[in-house]
Amino acid sequence: MNAHIKKVYVPMTETGFYILLCLRDTMHGYGIVQKVEAITQGEIKLSPGTMYGSLSKMEKDGLIHFVREEDKRKLYRITELGNQVLELEIMRIERLYRTMKEVQ
Amino acid sequence: MKTTKTEFRFFTILEWTQEQEYLRKQHNNGWRFINMKFPGLYHFEKCEPEDVTYQLDYNPEGIAHKAEYIQMFLDCGWEYMQDYAGYSYFRKPASKMDGTEEIFCDDDSRLDMMKRVFKHRIIPLILIFCCVIIPQMFSQYHHLNRLSGIIFTGIFTVMGIFYLILFRTFAIQFWRYRKSLK
Repeated sequence: MNAHIKKVYVPMTETGFYILLCLRDTMHGYGIVQKVEAITQGEIKLSPGTMYGSLSKMEKDGLIHFVREEDKRKLYRITELGNQVLELEIMRIERLYRTMKEVQ
Repeated sequence: MKTTKTEFRFFTILEWTQEQEYLRKQHNNGWRFINMKFPGLYHFEKCEPEDVTYQLDYNPEGIAHKAEYIQMFLDCGWEYMQDYAGYSYFRKPASKMDGTEEIFCDDDSRLDMMKRVFKHRIIPLILIFCCVIIPQMFSQYHHLNRLSGIIFTGIFTVMGIFYLILFRTFAIQFWRYRKSLK
């Protein structure tokens, strides 16, 4: 993982985190929007401009890769590098949560 | 009674927030935006007054892959209207939203859009200013005793001043926008 990836994605935005989390399965952008809405009980509604920008940025940076196209929708999946970044982020959030619990 | 109207409004390329607000107000007053074919000339048609959110995106990559780009917005309930000067126009009625909705849901992506506008629109202007206008301003300096020299230098000096005013406006708008995000 190079310095650019670390700088941009560690820590990452909530949008970026949910995208990587969802793309452990093959999915298109709108599929991610729907899934995130469902798993957060409607708390988080991702917007199309943000989704489009994030997906193309992550594809360029090699965190996700294009799988195929279905009805004008591009399907993506996480890459090995994306998994490493997601793992780092999960560890960071776990540490944050533990610390918060200890201090509380 | 008139069912269509055309209004002239000028927004700089960094004033998309104001432009969105303008289109929303028109729709609230019963004028639905149809299109813009020339810079600043907005065409409207009469409609039932409704609260409709208008949003502009600037994404050259999206325009290059138009079908999938627009599909993403359609899926999320945004109607696509047109592209103009690199900007894509979208709208969604408030009645189809829960709460308020925008095409960007975090400040990172809002700032990314600003950066795209800078890269594709402002940097070329700066290059023109530095590589064309400034050298031309001084190229005829030694011919100032001739009328053609005076006219030539005059034209480019006026253009140079115009560019400087433009850059100043951009700088202020950029600074304001950044401040509004954080």
